[in-house]
Amino acid sequence: MDFSVLQLTAEQEQFAKEVQAFLDDIVTDEVHERELETGDGFSATVHLALGERGWLYPTWPVEHGGAGLDAVSARILDLELHRRQVPDITAGTTALVWSAVERYLDSAEVDTMRLDVARGHVRFCLGYTEPDGGSDIAAAKVRAVRDGDEWVLNGSKIFTTGAQSCQYTFLITRTDPTLPKHKGMTMFLVPLDAPGVEIQGIRAFSGERTNIVYYSDARISDKFRLGAVNAGWAVLHGPLDAEHSIGGEESGLDDISVGRSFLRVLERALDAAVDWTAAAVRPDGTKVADDRSALQRIGRVATDLEAGIRTPGPLGRVAGSEALVRGSADLVDLVGIEALVSLGDRAGSELGAVEYGHRFAQGTATYGGTVEVFRNIISQHVLGLPQMNYPGRKVFLAPGRSDAMAAAR
Amino acid sequence: MDRWELRRQDYSLDSDQEDVREAFSEFFAKESPSSVVRAAEPLGYDAALWEKLVGMGVTTMSLPAALGGDDATLVELVLVAEELGRNASPVPLISHVVSVRLLAAVGADRAVLDAAAAGLPPVALALAPLTGTSPALVPDAAIANDVIALSGEELVLFRSAEPAPFIANHGSTPLGRWDPAAASGRIVLASGPAAVSAFERALGDWKLLTAAALIGLTQIALDTAVEFAKTRETMGVPIGSLQGVAFPLADVAIGVTGARNLIWRAAWMSEYEPQARPELIAMAYANAARVATRGTTTSAHMQGGLGFTIEADASLYFLRAKGWSVLAGDPNLDLVGIGAGLVVAAG
Ligand SMILES: Cc1cc2nc3c(=O)[nH]c(=O)nc-3n(C[C@H](O)[C@H](O)[C@H](O)COP(=O)(O)OP(=O)(O)OC[C@H]3O[C@@H](n4cnc5c(N)ncnc54)[C@H](O)[C@@H]3O)c2cc1C
Repeated sequence: MDFSVLQLTAEQEQFAKEVQAFLDDIVTDEVHERELETGDGFSATVHLALGERGWLYPTWPVEHGGAGLDAVSARILDLELHRRQVPDITAGTTALVWSAVERYLDSAEVDTMRLDVARGHVRFCLGYTEPDGGSDIAAAKVRAVRDGDEWVLNGSKIFTTGAQSCQYTFLITRTDPTLPKHKGMTMFLVPLDAPGVEIQGIRAFSGERTNIVYYSDARISDKFRLGAVNAGWAVLHGPLDAEHSIGGEESGLDDISVGRSFLRVLERALDAAVDWTAAAVRPDGTKVADDRSALQRIGRVATDLEAGIRTPGPLGRVAGSEALVRGSADLVDLVGIEALVSLGDRAGSELGAVEYGHRFAQGTATYGGTVEVFRNIISQHVLGLPQMNYPGRKVFLAPGRSDAMAAAR
Repeated sequence: MDRWELRRQDYSLDSDQEDVREAFSEFFAKESPSSVVRAAEPLGYDAALWEKLVGMGVTTMSLPAALGGDDATLVELVLVAEELGRNASPVPLISHVVSVRLLAAVGADRAVLDAAAAGLPPVALALAPLTGTSPALVPDAAIANDVIALSGEELVLFRSAEPAPFIANHGSTPLGRWDPAAASGRIVLASGPAAVSAFERALGDWKLLTAAALIGLTQIALDTAVEFAKTRETMGVPIGSLQGVAFPLADVAIGVTGARNLIWRAAWMSEYEPQARPELIAMAYANAARVATRGTTTSAHMQGGLGFTIEADASLYFLRAKGWSVLAGDPNLDLVGIGAGLVVAAG
């Protein structure tokens, strides 16, 4: 057990300064204004500039386009990117997909793509969810039919976040509707500029943009198939388990909660609400700081935040999201009418973090697998409870990782 | 508070800590099955068990080596307290260990310290400062002759010939109606601000160890409910396959896991950097109290009517979750304190 402050080497100190100076230059107000306006979760200038330094995959070797950083330096960089609220959704989805691409795409193809990914020129989004439902990924219907050396795609995916900023989508398709549903699926890396692919924006009330992507007789080469035909479920599992944080290693440096990034939003809202409380006077002339019910509310949110940060893995995903959902609503109540003024209409006040937090919170309970899907995972894999044998029940772990798979067969 | 401070996030136990955990896990599992817990009701004290535990060195382990101890830290103590909680053991471990640490911290007379460290009978700590000389409900005072209390600006060890009268209570703990005026001896351990800060530190230790015990208690409550849910059937399926049963239990698991790590972190910080995040103890405690309240009621409820009966071990856990966590008063007051601390720091 060790929670001590890291003692940096002279080199790491120097690196931290370099990071500061570099990010001072590239993460401008304009970057944040643009993000507020578009909700892209992506900034091309920042992404490419980071890629140029090898800082998108900082621990990769330099010859692969990384920066060969040690774990501590990588942590310094990671914290600094979070502190500056660098839009990072597309960077995140790209990293998730890369592990599957590296493993399943033709190796010559991988070698050329690796540097482009590291430099930031090639980016991936996740094409799992369909308009008919996302929790049951294995029920996907988007159809892929073989035609010689090509595949013809038809159907639509919804919530393909970042498609407007990506070159490829990691697409799960139905290739054999006659087989049991987990066995008739194939994964593809679909070029988004292929004819027949159409991207249409959708906005969430958090301001985040996502998309519906239509595939109308879209043709792609067989070289973009990942893994064997009808073996898509296994290919999907690497990235899916990583997103669900199943089976990761603990470094003793990184945050242990999958919900940590949600909780950073709660931290900002809480800090703003606390600053407000320290100074605010109610219309009747009393100080909010003297009101014990206000202090208790702050104490509760701060405690849930702290507990969320300390809750590991998939459990932390639920704890983090729900602490944010509850806590941000509580903080809006605490601040009252002033908390309702929109983030975009605030000119300098930090309180926008409360208003924004309350909008942003709701999505965190849904994307990346809903909190209910995670409770299923926890019930099954942490508590070892029996699972109901629903028609078409889904399994979460890759073959060989547990007997859950065998049970499902 | 600097939210961007570069700190390690290492929650692993080293081999010594693993050994401590394992030794006490085995001890309590062997010596304190629920039959022993029940046999000790309603007083909640098994003198023979306590003697065995004292024999394991638990009352001295956290003393400095110079005072005959093993230099164990709060981190090891919370591991021990969790194992105690996991077995709902009827021993006054927490208040006694906290009292002995307090005596050492204020530099009590060696004879006083050694007698206390010997553990027989145990020493109790009044968790609320005395108001005048009126009798007060004091945890473990029903089995202790010595009670340490903050009285005005003085920290005092009160000596009596007999323990205080036992008051039957919700959690079956040795709660006594203790009368400071009836004490036959009075040793002033510290006075002025030093007395207050030593008392507050001891109260913090008590909250941390109690939080750990509550989490052990909730973990065993959860484990019991999960076992039940795997085999109990309704409409031809195990109840644990129903989300209406499984999800609340998953929430208990989430709560317990986070609470344990929060306690570990608070214990570590309290031991090595007590000034850095003083509010962590109150957070760990208020959180554990809530997780235990919810976790033990959920675990009992998922066992249906049986979980409501005295025969079910679930009842032991449910009643102690409150019976332990409210001994120091309303845990929500800790939340008020946390909020006040944050607001003052910001203002
Ligand atoms: C902002 C945003 C970004 C997203 N980005 C992406 C992306 O990049 N790529 C992508 O593929 N998807 C993405 N999604 C989609 C997301 O993964 C899905 O919304 C999610 O998996 C839930 O699917 P659904 O919306 O179809 O709801 P449904 O699956 O229809 O679920 C509806 C409700 O039923 C509950 N439910 C469903 N199944 C179960 C079950 N087995 N047990 C208990 N309860 C259940 C759900 O929890 C939910 O509350 C995004 C969503 C949002 C909001």
